[in-house]
Amino acid sequence: MNPPKLSFGDRLRIELAVLRIDWELDGRIPWRVRRRLKNELRSNLIAATESNGAKSAVSQLGDLRALGASYLEIYRGRVDARRGAWAAVITYAAIQVLAVAVFLAFQSGIVAGGGHGGSYELLAGFGPFQGSVNHGYEMEILSPAHLVLMLAAFLIASRAWRVLPRRA
Amino acid sequence: MALLRLLAERESYGYELVGRLHQLGLKQIQEGSVYPALSRLEREGSVTARLVSSSSGPARKYYRPSPAGYASLADSEVAWTTLVRALEPILSRPVPRRPQEAKT
Repeated sequence: MNPPKLSFGDRLRIELAVLRIDWELDGRIPWRVRRRLKNELRSNLIAATESNGAKSAVSQLGDLRALGASYLEIYRGRVDARRGAWAAVITYAAIQVLAVAVFLAFQSGIVAGGGHGGSYELLAGFGPFQGSVNHGYEMEILSPAHLVLMLAAFLIASRAWRVLPRRA
Repeated sequence: MALLRLLAERESYGYELVGRLHQLGLKQIQEGSVYPALSRLEREGSVTARLVSSSSGPARKYYRPSPAGYASLADSEVAWTTLVRALEPILSRPVPRRPQEAKT
């Protein structure tokens, strides 16, 4: 006997559950392992759906986030690329906030001195703290210093050095 | 131990194994706890897996105990039997309505 065909709604429900679990694993475990887990989950969910319906199949998995965390505990890689990416983004935001503060201080100085605009530079050609104040203002969106600091944040937060082979 | 034992009787994929547990009366066990347990057993080397194509979707992953799994199962069964034997004399006694007073 052929198994009952799954409806679009059933497939959607299954895929959403698989994606929710996969989200917990993204960037934290090797993608080959992730793909294997997703295929296994999908095949088990399809089998469960054929017996009890997609809603019951997904609910029987329990808390999807907790399930993802369980897999993460088993397969966690030595490098956490997701944490590294977040650290890089936060570093970028922090640099920009600091750069705005530098700009405002510079602008206040010009206004206090009765000036009519000018440019400022710190680590010329490399750092993020350079711009100009005229009728409006211009600031660096991305500089080599941004990239260096973001890369450093990524490497530290992701523990990227763990990729290197261990000494015996 | 229960998973290894059932897999030693017949290789199964995740959902099928959950069904077998439910048939044995363990209905409170959810898929969400069995699937990671199978992954852990595979990671530890206690089970091996093979993919078998399915007519309804992606290939199903069938598990069976590895030689290390059989050894682990034997150890676990001995430990479990020992524990049950040790507790049996205590648990077989009737529970009094209130505990005996300590002698002072």
